[in-house]
This record gives sequence, C-alpha cells and structure tokens, in this order.
Amino acid sequence: MKDNKIYETLSKPLSKIGLSPISLAAFAAMALFPLVSPNEYYTKLGLTCMLWGTLAMGFDFSVGYINVANWGYAGLMGLGAYLSALLNKYFGISPWIGILIGGVVVAVLGLLIALLTMKMDAMFAALLAWFVGIVLQNIIAAVPNITRGAMGLNVRSLFATPKTAPYYYTMFVICILTFCVLKLVVNSKFGLSFRALGQDIEAAKAIGISPLKYRTINFVISCFVAGIVGGFYGHYVGVLSPNVLGTKNVVQILVIAYIGGRGSIWGSLLCAFILMPIFEMMNSLAEIKYIIYGALLIVSMIYFPGGLCKIPEKIKSFKAEKNK
Amino acid sequence: MINILISGILRGGMYVLIALGLALVYGVMGIPNFAHGEYYLIGAYAAYFALTLFGVSPVIAIIFAALIGFVFGAVIEKITFAPLRKRNTGDWVTNAFMIGAGIQLIIQNLAQYLFTANYFGVTQLWEGSIKLGSINISYDRLVAFAIAMCTLAAFWLFLKKTRTGISILAVADDEVGAMLMGVDIKRIHTLTYAMGSMLAALAGGALISITPAYPTMGTAPNLAAWFTVILVGVGNLSAVAVGGFMVGLIEVFATYFFGAAWQNVVSLIVIIMILLFKPNGLFGRKQKV
Repeated sequence: MKDNKIYETLSKPLSKIGLSPISLAAFAAMALFPLVSPNEYYTKLGLTCMLWGTLAMGFDFSVGYINVANWGYAGLMGLGAYLSALLNKYFGISPWIGILIGGVVVAVLGLLIALLTMKMDAMFAALLAWFVGIVLQNIIAAVPNITRGAMGLNVRSLFATPKTAPYYYTMFVICILTFCVLKLVVNSKFGLSFRALGQDIEAAKAIGISPLKYRTINFVISCFVAGIVGGFYGHYVGVLSPNVLGTKNVVQILVIAYIGGRGSIWGSLLCAFILMPIFEMMNSLAEIKYIIYGALLIVSMIYFPGGLCKIPEKIKSFKAEKNK
Repeated sequence: MINILISGILRGGMYVLIALGLALVYGVMGIPNFAHGEYYLIGAYAAYFALTLFGVSPVIAIIFAALIGFVFGAVIEKITFAPLRKRNTGDWVTNAFMIGAGIQLIIQNLAQYLFTANYFGVTQLWEGSIKLGSINISYDRLVAFAIAMCTLAAFWLFLKKTRTGISILAVADDEVGAMLMGVDIKRIHTLTYAMGSMLAALAGGALISITPAYPTMGTAPNLAAWFTVILVGVGNLSAVAVGGFMVGLIEVFATYFFGAAWQNVVSLIVIIMILLFKPNGLFGRKQKV
C-alpha cells in the first residue's frame, strides 16, 4: 500500500499539467530514446511513431469523445503541410512560423466545417470533412505551377543537419504538448460535456449542453493538431505530394486510434508505438499491408470496441472478482 | 449546350442507380455505407471477366455483375454489419461508417493486389451510335441508361408492390414496429444491403465500356452518390431519382465550364450552400438534432 501512496502524492501535482506518473515515465523513456538508439533508422522509426501517434491522439479527441470521425484528417494535415511549405517557398517565412500559421488556418477551416455541420448528425461532419479533404487534394493537384502537383513539392527542411535527433526532439515537444493539452481539456468541465454529447446527444441537450458549441470547440482543437503536425511533417520529410491528403492516411490514423482505444488519448499514442514498427516492416507488402489494416479495423471494431486502453480496466475488474 | 444537357442526363441516370442503393441502406439499416463505391468496382470487374474470359453476351455479363454484387453484399453484411449490430456499443452510425471504411480499404487493395493497377476495359458492348441533334451518342451509353431506368422501375415496383419490398420500407420507417408485425429483421437487413450492392454493381457492369475497371474507380461514384443523398435530403428515397440527375448535370456543367480538376470544387460549393440554407436537403424531411 505504500507504493500507492507515493503514486498518489506524485500524481496530484502532475495531473495539473495533464500527466500521470506512468505517462511521465513513458515520456521520459521517449526523451531518452535517441541517446540509446543504435542508429539513425531506429530514431527515425521512433519519430514516425510519435508523429502518427500525435495525429491519432488528435483524431481520438474527436472520435472518442464527441463521436465525430474527422474523415478529412489527412486532408487537413496535408493542408497544414502545404501551407507551411508554400509560405516558406514564396514568402521566405520561417518554417517555425509557417507551421503555426498552418495550424491556425487549418483550425479556421475546421471551424467553418464545424459551424456548418455540428448542429446535425455526426455523419454530416464526417462527410463534409471528407469532401473538403478530397477537394483540397484536387486543388493541389490542379495548380501545378504553384504546388508542383503530382510531381512533388520540395520543402526546405527545418534544420541544417541531416541528423534525425533535432527533428526527434521537435516532434517530441509537439507530442508532449498535444498530450498534456488534450488531457487537460478532457479532464476539465469541457471534457465532461464532450463525453455527454458523445454518449447521448439528446440527454446532453436536455441538461443544457449545446452540441454546436462544444462539438465545435472540440473539432477546432483537433484540426489545429492536424495542421501543426502536418506542417512539421512537410519540413521533416522534405517532399510533399497530393497523396499525403488521401483517404489511406486517414485510415492509418483511424486504425491506430481505434486499436489504441477510443476516448483515452494515451491509448492512441501507445498503440502508435506498437503498430507503426509493425506496419513499417510490412512496407514491402504494399497492398497486403492495407488489407491487413482494414481487417484489423473491422475486427477491432466488432470484437474489441474498447481497444488497448480497456485492458487495465479489464485486469482490475478481473482482480476484483478474484478478491471477492 | 444540348450536348451538355444530354451527357448530364445520361450520367445522372447512373448516379440515381448508385445513390438509390446508398439511400436505401442508410434508410433501412442506418449504415452510412462508405464502401458503396466498391460494389460498383466489383460489378465492373465481374462484367469485364464475364465478357473476356467466358465470352458471354453483354446482357448476361451485366446480369452476372449484378448477381456478383448481390452475393458480395450479402456475404459482407453477414460477416461485418450483422455481428457489429449484435455487439455494438456506442454510436451505431459512426461505428458502421468505420466498418464501411475498412471494407473499402480491403476491397480496393485486394483489387490492386489481384489485378494490379491496370485498366480493364472493353471498347464497346454494342456497336453503333445514333445522332441526336449535333452529337453522336453511342449505343452503349443509351443502353446503360435504359438499363438504369428499367432497373429503377422494377425496383420501385418491388418496393411498393411485393410483400418483401413493403417489409423493407416498414423497417425503414419503424424497426421495432416492423419486428412486432412479424418481419424478420435480420433477413431484411441482409437483403437490403445485398440489393443496395447489387444496384451499384449493376451500374459498374453496365458502364464497363465507358469506365474501365481499376482499383480506385469506386471513389468517384461513391462521392457522387453521397453528394446526391445530401443534396436531396437523407432518408428520402423518391427524391434520389431527381437528385441523381441534378448531380449528373452539375458535374457535367462544372467540367465544361471550369475543367475536370475543378469539378469537385463546384460540387463542394453546392454542398456547402445546401448545408447552409437547406440543411435537410432540397426535399428532405425535418431532421433530428
């Protein structure tokens, strides 16, 4: 029982910034990873995990709490990436500011989508976001003299060094900030309203929670994350093509978020670290990889709707049963 | 001008067929079927292989495509949506949407894996064309359009006049009520999904000479079908017939005036206008929430 006390005294101040001792330890391990990783490849892999994990967290923030599947998530992310890249190319704006501008513009676009659809069924938001994603993809492909279309846009990289470590820590900061902010919002009064709306919208309305207001707030935050991560993605990878905005990427994010478990935030991040290396290994399989994604998604939707994040709860209830 | 009008109407006829399946599946089962375009793909491949491998006549190939679509729809419903319905927690519509996305991913990539990304098409099903005003319309387009219209009429009669059809409409109206009246809900669900898939596959098969089969061919009809459903209002079956033609015309006009790349942009603007001013769709009933 002594351990529990230490845990509790630690978790109180930490919870003010949205962390818990366990998540703090996990982030510390992530921070130390580049120092112990045997070569650049593994550092890059770690970065990939964090990047998709952060996107999945943002996605989960919408789908897990207010039940809105942001079907244009890759499109919004790609918009952030292209904006930052183009601002840098034509106006010489520093990537750091460009990434922020990208995030804000994407958030504004998210606000417009939300204002149009959040009064209605969640499906409409998903569909409109999907349309917007496709249209963004079409527009980028249609103006090759600005975006170079399908030929691929070369993006100035964020750092002068070819090493991965600086990128890793940039992504790490984005990741931990996203995690803390999302956790704080979720644990606040807003989080309760989000959950209420996600579970039973009629009941939530009856006690005075405005779906339009809270779902819009949620959606905009989620879009902002997509824009920021997208901006970073562009400057990290160095080449952008309209394919980044495709539905395939949404499904990748979706698979991570769903297998990680809806409505937990940390589940998505953890799951990215488990799934991304596996997916990375399967890269040579091309189409088979996506077939496995789809099958994983369907199986986890039907048979394990809670995902990974429900495992501790299950163990707890199992133990409680044993103690009886 | 008349040129655009005719090709818009011909295109719209197909959209009616595809969108009707989508609206039906949503109305009866509450599934926003994201994989709907994939049944169009299945139909196209089925028709192609029936034509080239077995060398059957076009009519049989198209019927074969529809049958394959029906079987695929029934099997997929049984192994995905049926168990989900039994075990579902949380919001059904969102979950069903995700399942649809998974199905779409699997079918698209399976097609690419099995048949590579090449185009599989035939040059024409029926020889000849007729002159209408200043333009030539190939028989293929006309026949496809005629098939679409006949199927629609037959389907409408089926829904309104047969016992099974009336049961489907009853489930769409009130599931519990229908169940109390002795309708076998599970059977109706599978049948509805299979029929919706069949309509899409039929369209894919009938258009094989115009749109060749390739792995991502389902995206465009999927988009158009959703556009139609949102345009006329979700859950309004009879208005889909009008909506399909409108979408066909809008797309052809947009392509003509702004170029193919901007066609979807125009569609999006129309959708935004609809959501802004008539969120229930042009002919929609009042929507909850």
